[in-house]
Amino acid sequence: MTNLAIDHIGKTYADGTEALRDIQVHAAEGEIVAILGGSGCGKTTLLRLVAGLDTPSIGAISVGGQKIAGTHPAISAVFQEPRLLPWLKVGANIAFGGQRLDPTERDRRASALMERIGLSGYDHRWPRDLSGGQSQRVAIARALIGHPGVLLLDEPFSALDPFTRASLHELVLGLWKELKPTILMVTHDVDEAVTLADRIVVMKPRPGRVHESIQVDIPRPRDKLSSAFELMKRRVMRAIDRSLADDRPAGPRAFGPGGTSPWL
Amino acid sequence: MKPTGFIIPVLLGVTWEVVVQSGLATGRLMPPPSHLLHSAIGLAASGELWTHVAATMTRIGLGFLFGAAAGTACGVLAGASGLALRLLDPSIQALRAIPSLAWVPLFILWLGIFETSKLALIAMGVFFPVYLGVLSAIQGVDRKLIEVGRVFGLSSTGIALRITGPAVLPSWFAALRTGLGLGFMFVVAAELMGASEGLGYMLLDGQQMGRADTILVAMIVFALLGKACDSILVAISIPLLRWQDTVRASL
Ligand SMILES: Nc1ncnc2c1ncn2[C@@H]1O[C@H](COP(=O)(O)OP(=O)(O)O)[C@@H](O)[C@H]1O
Ligand SMILES: [Mg+2]
Repeated sequence: MTNLAIDHIGKTYADGTEALRDIQVHAAEGEIVAILGGSGCGKTTLLRLVAGLDTPSIGAISVGGQKIAGTHPAISAVFQEPRLLPWLKVGANIAFGGQRLDPTERDRRASALMERIGLSGYDHRWPRDLSGGQSQRVAIARALIGHPGVLLLDEPFSALDPFTRASLHELVLGLWKELKPTILMVTHDVDEAVTLADRIVVMKPRPGRVHESIQVDIPRPRDKLSSAFELMKRRVMRAIDRSLADDRPAGPRAFGPGGTSPWL
Repeated sequence: MKPTGFIIPVLLGVTWEVVVQSGLATGRLMPPPSHLLHSAIGLAASGELWTHVAATMTRIGLGFLFGAAAGTACGVLAGASGLALRLLDPSIQALRAIPSLAWVPLFILWLGIFETSKLALIAMGVFFPVYLGVLSAIQGVDRKLIEVGRVFGLSSTGIALRITGPAVLPSWFAALRTGLGLGFMFVVAAELMGASEGLGYMLLDGQQMGRADTILVAMIVFALLGKACDSILVAISIPLLRWQDTVRASL
């Protein structure tokens, strides 16, 4: 019902920058798809197009088989920064995500989510009093309070320390199990992609294109120390190497199979 | 003010009091504190002071209201619509280039010597800082927060009321305080240009009568009223701006 289809999307900015070319990504209902690529690959651009914050130059985006234009009630997002509204208390910030809910239901879900993200008792605090990790938890709760069909995550963990990041991975996976949104997440972190995703789409830059799509068929909960996990990481890193090699049409290949990857 | 801030004024006052009381100076041009207090009590008791305060405060109040309302309205309009900005802003900037007091003769010619021309002058003084403050605050609203509003399904009215509005509130209050300060400056100018009551009139009257004490009492009352009005604005803003870190720091 809330599968997401990104069909032959291209985006060229007004200044002539071609950020994306012919992007084709489908996510099944409830699937977690990670878009993996270095900075400047057009990852943020892609998420902004899906969120309806910008319009594609060409191509179509559909949710549940329906083409969409602009923002959509079924699509919610967590940004790279928490982007909490500083004039709303923590509880009201979470409730802000549920514009379309009736107030009683909204309050009920907000307090349930506060509890769920480990911030019960914080509803009357200001966002300025939260740590980076807590803020991002609130942003996740805000994005999920409306039970969106599609959740977009734009590197929301990249600014956090490894401990906080790991606990947020757990939180997102837990909430995903309960609410089963389709998740399109963007990251430049191989470990994060293999931890969370059902499928990893490796992108290459200038212009941003899909290089390769890799199925991650490791059962959850995933053990980071398992050989399956390690093998998958290696497979993804090799795909990245190939994408970089492809990107270098002339001159000696700096790294190929067996070479040193900048990702290691 | 910290207690240390009072040391110099109190020391000066006491010294001057002693100098005048001991007959070393007459204190005619610079009356000592006891003399000022005596004059102030006299002016207050006769009701004269209150008539002047009421006249000045009415002018400030009305002028501030009109100026702040017009400044806010124009700022919101220019901030909300690109067309309004291109239409309005160049003219307003051009008018701002004229020193405000240069308007006085024209206002008197157009609106007469009485209240209307005074209010126009005060309102104009308040208008410009409020307009500029509101406009630049709206232009400076974080696009990222507006995107949050869009993603969560707010209409453009919803975004204006629930994102832009709260976001510009701190700058709006700052602009109102600047406007109020200018309002006080212009009420003096307005009352010096001809009035039969008001603290500005008291200043002029004191000068003509050679009464330095009247002048000084009027000046002190101006300072107290200005500070009081500013404090009222701050007091109104505090509950609305509690979310800001700086509110706490400034308390
Ligand atoms: N608003 C914009 N106008 C012009 N170019 C842009 C704009 N936003 C992003 N770009 C360009 O598009 C490319 C992709 O950017 P972005 O989507 O932010 O990549 P990523 O998130 O993968 O780092 C970059 O070359 C960037 O400079
Ligand atoms: Mg990015």
